[in-house]
Amino acid sequence: MNKKINGAVRSFLNCLIPVLLAFLAGAVVIVAIGENPLEAYGVLLKKSFFTSVGFQNTLHYAGPMILTGLAIAITFKANIYNMGVEGSLLIGAFFAGIVGANLTGLPSVPTKLICFAVAVVCGVAFAMIAALLKVKFRADEMVVTMMMNYALAKVLEYLATTVFRDSGNGYVCTPVVSDQAMFVRIFGKSRLTAFFFVVLLFLIIMWIVMKRSRLGYEVTAMGKNFEFAEAVGMNVGRKIIIIMAISGALAGIAGAGWMMEDQYRYTLTFSGSPGLGWDGMLIALMGGHDPLGILIAAIFYAGLKTGADSINMYTNVPKEIVSLIQGLIVLFLAVKFIGERVHLAKSGKKRKEA
Amino acid sequence: MQLLESILYDCIYHSAPIILCVLGGMFAYKANVLNIALEGMMLNGAFVSILSYYFTGNMLVTLLLAVGSTLLYGYIFAFLGVTMKGNVIIIGLAVNMISTAVAGFVLVMLNSSNIILENFDLNALKINIPIIGKIPILGSILSGHPIITYISFIMIFLMYVLMYHTKFGIYVRVVGESEEAAKAIGLHTDFYKYAAILIGAVGCALGGMNLSLERLGLFTNDMVAGRGFIAIAAIYCGRGKPVQSAVYAILFGMSRSLAINLSVYAGNAAGLFDCFPYILMIAVLAAASFVKHKNVKVRGF
Repeated sequence: MNKKINGAVRSFLNCLIPVLLAFLAGAVVIVAIGENPLEAYGVLLKKSFFTSVGFQNTLHYAGPMILTGLAIAITFKANIYNMGVEGSLLIGAFFAGIVGANLTGLPSVPTKLICFAVAVVCGVAFAMIAALLKVKFRADEMVVTMMMNYALAKVLEYLATTVFRDSGNGYVCTPVVSDQAMFVRIFGKSRLTAFFFVVLLFLIIMWIVMKRSRLGYEVTAMGKNFEFAEAVGMNVGRKIIIIMAISGALAGIAGAGWMMEDQYRYTLTFSGSPGLGWDGMLIALMGGHDPLGILIAAIFYAGLKTGADSINMYTNVPKEIVSLIQGLIVLFLAVKFIGERVHLAKSGKKRKEA
Repeated sequence: MQLLESILYDCIYHSAPIILCVLGGMFAYKANVLNIALEGMMLNGAFVSILSYYFTGNMLVTLLLAVGSTLLYGYIFAFLGVTMKGNVIIIGLAVNMISTAVAGFVLVMLNSSNIILENFDLNALKINIPIIGKIPILGSILSGHPIITYISFIMIFLMYVLMYHTKFGIYVRVVGESEEAAKAIGLHTDFYKYAAILIGAVGCALGGMNLSLERLGLFTNDMVAGRGFIAIAAIYCGRGKPVQSAVYAILFGMSRSLAINLSVYAGNAAGLFDCFPYILMIAVLAAASFVKHKNVKVRGF
């Protein structure tokens, strides 16, 4: 039992220390530009966690990031570095948006289901290219997915400026999705919609898949040792394809959801900067590739994002400070500050006695 | 003929920054450290070189600052990845994120979305080679590039020598191929890993400087646009060999040059041409990986 608690404390500290270090480094930068870091961080935390509307907005932003976090976690956990989550999200969102804009005759629920289905198909198809190249040709999935993101961004930019452009608008965008395809704000004041509960449903499904299913065990085994997984008779190639498909599907749903609950149309800044897929990576790392951890990390990180706007509004600190803190969190997360050999509190003493 | 000339000129023009990135990155590849921070380091080189030239106007100071600051990123990468034994892929991604964030932050502080050097004479940086420059077609292709472009092509051969004909190069490769063996013969493996990563940083800094300062005299935060990852793809395809990897870098430069020069004739579809270089790189990587693994009898990835 002690060992289990020890492990939990260790992983909690390994997550907390990088966050604190990153905030500390961010504070140094804020001081350097002549502002008060406590004030900036105070505004950030207060506006995104301690007001009712603010917290609901935080949950709203957390929704798609939970999904992208899960999409990253299931591949990273198996040592497959799928950088194409951002791409799957964008392609899913784009075509869900196009279908949503042209689908006007159906009632609300079927419209949304069709949009989600389109997004899943697109997201999976995008992820499949890299998965098949990895399995059939052994092409490094990280480089391939990265390249594909760039290629896809160009293609979508082309489609949005020519074929699917909403000509009534001054800037580059696709037409607005129909009313039936829009998620309505539940509480009016905040941006929270029913999509968040769809996300929670997928979170529970993924918890079961990763923690209680055979596939989840196999993913862990692949992550620990590819050769071992092959040797005990797992068809690693097929598993890679399944994992990538799940990842692409989750990213596609995230994109469609973001389209239907917040953006309503595809613009060139649809996913923000650095993009929901990249946010998902940070969240997966912070959450230790664990569904529950991802939920907490996503809410925390979404709080940073809503807080970034508050920082911009109420202080003189530019909101780019948050992307800097984000990068630093990832940097420090890469290092295990408290390794397996460091024993915390009681069990450490016991070992000495024994 | 005019078209062919400008395609070949642009090919050299677009290849140079990637070649530098490739030449720097392949040492880390050979030392078995996957350095995906090339992208971020290149961005930093591009950003700092423009920024420091904007404030100082001195080329030498600019060079030192660009290389120095990129070495700092390289050192952070090496310290966390080699000494602290962190996950190098995650560290690399973090470096990419941080260098973008730093550049974005400074741009906001300067109240601008880009830095453009005004009154900056790009033509003054172009070097006209005395004799070759006079040859009709060859001259207009080979002559009139900035100095780092020439350096990049010369470096292919210097790096080849460093990799295969010096003790340093051999030791780096030994560390990569068998760390136990390297330790057994008394090599400081960490030292060679650090050195390999730092060489990569210098290459990226020069590549970035070439990209922003020498070629355009401006910086925007998205200007590197995946060149670091293209360099990684080129290194993978060329299996870390200097000449082969550089050839793949030139292949990318060529496809980019074709995309730009031919898009004039494409009308509306011109935007689609931009994704051609990336798709070509994926195809080449897939083909190269397939050939590499075709004869491997051992299963696994």
